Amino acid sequence: MSEQLNVESRAKTGSINAQRLRAAGMVPANLYGHGQQPLNLQCKIDNVMSVIRHGARVVDLAGAVQDKAMIRELQWDTYGTTVLHIDMARVSADERVTVRVPVELKGVAAGSVDGGVVEHIVHEIEIECAAIAIPDKVTLKIDSLKLGGHLNADKIDLPTGATLVDDADLTIVHCVKPKEASADAGATGGEQPELIRKEKAAAEEE
Amino acid sequence: MALMPKRVKHRKSQRGRIRGNATRGTRVSYGDFGLQALQGGWISAQTIEAARISAQQYLRTEGKLFIRIFPHKSITSKPLETRMGKGKAEPDYWAAVVKPGQVMFEVGGVSEDAAKLCFRRLAFKMPIPVKFVKRRVM
Repeated sequence: MSEQLNVESRAKTGSINAQRLRAAGMVPANLYGHGQQPLNLQCKIDNVMSVIRHGARVVDLAGAVQDKAMIRELQWDTYGTTVLHIDMARVSADERVTVRVPVELKGVAAGSVDGGVVEHIVHEIEIECAAIAIPDKVTLKIDSLKLGGHLNADKIDLPTGATLVDDADLTIVHCVKPKEASADAGATGGEQPELIRKEKAAAEEE
Repeated sequence: MALMPKRVKHRKSQRGRIRGNATRGTRVSYGDFGLQALQGGWISAQTIEAARISAQQYLRTEGKLFIRIFPHKSITSKPLETRMGKGKAEPDYWAAVVKPGQVMFEVGGVSEDAAKLCFRRLAFKMPIPVKFVKRRVM
């Protein structure tokens, strides 16, 4: 079930007005897609944070616009605590969309039992699926991952109806031998980096 | 061995000012959890090394530590009991310029509790206030 987001139309645009809007507890938003005119909207920050907390990708817009929309992009502040802007695209229930979803590793790798370290290289993949059935995450079982081995994107369990957009040969996770870390801190003094212009001067002399 | 550039164009740099927040490198990109700066400052190569050792000693062979800052800036200092003047002093150490919001360290392949404990040890080494952050989906 998709979440409901109450929106109001926004007449004033520009960064100054957007700042004033944020100070008043609202978030500026845009709605576009389906060949229709893009709309400038605004919504309450509490409502937005609630939708994000529930992990909703597709929302039912209510208020100034009554439509189904997919959250395309969220702009966060520096500390990742407040949403600054929302980009939304109009979608219909039967439409297929391309989205990036997180990859979750499941199980214990056989290689890690043998002393290897599992390194998660790609954390998100791009999939194509129905707009109303966007998964929160996709899982990759790593039980068969041996030391020195790797698992590609084609091994990911995709939900029914979803297809992989990314390269099937994309390495998602691998298991490698742990590197020997040196525990001694070296002294900073003494050595100095090489000067780039020094080389130039030497070349000119020649 | 503490971090340091291999080749530089100029040995000494001007002090500069740390103005505004970081606009890049503010999200956890490589690991699952990160340590974000809440204040701007210079993080010396020695501090980065101390933090690395502290994290490695906690993590042992588990997980992976990512260091997302590098000491590009040379900091000069005059020797003790020296009269003022006679030009800019010699480089003393190397430091990374960190703006508020910069994710400085990341950890992957460990549980959240383990990452929190690891970063707690690491935060004691930092000269600036920091906070624990997680990877965001959107």
